[in-house]
Amino acid sequence: MIIAERKTFDEIKQIVGDAHKILIVGCGTCVAVCMAGGEKEVGILASLLRLDAKREGRELEIIETTVERQCDKEYLEPLAKKVSDADVVVSLACGAGVQFLAEMYDTKRVLPGLNTRFIGVAEHEGMWTQRCMACSDCILGETGGICPVTICPKGLLNGPCGGTNEGKCEVDNEKDCAWTLIYRRLEKTGGLNNIKKLFPPKRYDVQTKPGKVIHPAYEKGEGKAHE
Amino acid sequence: MEGECHFLEGNIRAKKRVNYTKGLLAEVKIEPERLKMFNMGASDAKEFAHAADEMTKIAKEFGPSPLKKIKNRKRPAIRRIQ
Ligand code: SF4
Ligand code: SF4
Repeated sequence: MIIAERKTFDEIKQIVGDAHKILIVGCGTCVAVCMAGGEKEVGILASLLRLDAKREGRELEIIETTVERQCDKEYLEPLAKKVSDADVVVSLACGAGVQFLAEMYDTKRVLPGLNTRFIGVAEHEGMWTQRCMACSDCILGETGGICPVTICPKGLLNGPCGGTNEGKCEVDNEKDCAWTLIYRRLEKTGGLNNIKKLFPPKRYDVQTKPGKVIHPAYEKGEGKAHE
Repeated sequence: MEGECHFLEGNIRAKKRVNYTKGLLAEVKIEPERLKMFNMGASDAKEFAHAADEMTKIAKEFGPSPLKKIKNRKRPAIRRIQ
């Protein structure tokens, strides 16, 4: 899932400026699970803004709402009235959600309340780690299910480098060397032959931005015929 | 006592949440010391009285809540809409 963190209160306060009526929109999917932008976090941010306004003797009205997902239009459409009533909208979705909301209501200032960090997993309660860089050419099948593009700070496809140190990475000796992890995993799963394989250079051509995916069953016209 | 919670590590978790909440208060410039967690047994009346005394002392030191001070000068209209 997508992992994000709330911006500092000072930054949010600064971008919100002197708005009197703020709509805070949470997202009930990834960012709710990583405790950054779900219903509860909307409530916390709203409380902080209210407390701050009260302390400064400012007038402020806050509307709180959380939708299932901000990256799907059908969940954004019902927000029309709330958005039009507000001076500004603070979205607690990932960057994609913020942009989609801003695109749908393009006459309103839609501001990000989070910093989107990475695609990752919940290591344990309250801790997430990055696992994938969305490189569009997945090689996990050859590397024992461990991603060197993400886990190795140098993104080496043919590792380890000369700096691997008893299982630790030379860039940060607190971290495991991705290629030692890969070696050990391949050893366990009987795939050690893979380690001798030379990977061709990474295909950066498939990573051109902005990415676009069309499901074959939804292509315009008849779609692709099965040959 | 800390770590001796009826809900096992519940009060250790609560301590982390309270510390997090203190951080939230600090973000909006409200003295985080106004919030404090005490561990005590359910029947620990003496301990409770001590804690209440300590909190009273802290509250007196800081004076009225910064939110109240403003309220006396000019009442901001804050409405909560769900
Ligand atoms: S190789 Fe790594 S970065 Fe690329 S898609 Fe697979 S997991 Fe993601
Ligand atoms: S030590 Fe391992 S993880 Fe670190 S840069 Fe070298 S190959 Fe990558």
